[in-house]
Amino acid sequence: MKNKIKVYRAMNNLTQDALANAIHVTRQTILAIEKGKYDPSLELAFKIARYFGVGIEEIFTYEKQ
Amino acid sequence: MKRNVFYVFVGIIAFLEVSLLWLAIDTDNALLIQVGFVVGVILVYLARRTVTEVIEDERTSLISEKSALRTLEVLWIVIFLLSLGSIVLSFNRPFLIIIRGSPPPPPAELPNFGIFGFVQLFLLCLIIFLYVGFRIYYARKYGEYESDEE
Repeated sequence: MKNKIKVYRAMNNLTQDALANAIHVTRQTILAIEKGKYDPSLELAFKIARYFGVGIEEIFTYEKQ
Repeated sequence: MKRNVFYVFVGIIAFLEVSLLWLAIDTDNALLIQVGFVVGVILVYLARRTVTEVIEDERTSLISEKSALRTLEVLWIVIFLLSLGSIVLSFNRPFLIIIRGSPPPPPAELPNFGIFGFVQLFLLCLIIFLYVGFRIYYARKYGEYESDEE
């Protein structure tokens, strides 16, 4: 699964730490998601999308590995 | 409590536990380390609840779950092997002699039951090593050691 979290973070001038605190996860989890090492649960994906005020498919796109 | 303060606190508790173990052996008082260990675990648990930063989320839970499952998978095989060995050692008298009514004489000495303590300790150490090993593997897999770009 690919994502645009890093892009949206840059657009909102947001650090990994700030985003992690806002959605109650560790900063390492944000880093792992951004690098594609970890696919978030549906709930966390919705939380991230909602935080940026966009739809889930705007940030996450499914690609077969 | 901050996350790093919590880790320092855990380190201090671990040091105190080792010191307590040494003292318990020196004074031949098993209760000392047993009570001390339980108190140490409770203190760490209470301290963990006061950490204000997020130290656990769905990714860390997944790492813990997978590590625990793999540890259990290996451990049940080891315990099963040890149990089979123990059964064979316990029932290794020849069958035919028992049926004919002349069982072999009982052993001169009872088996050393203290060995079970070491077997339990071995299993405990195995659990810790397996869990830590699997945890490192899954932590690496799920990006725990990824370098920061910020």
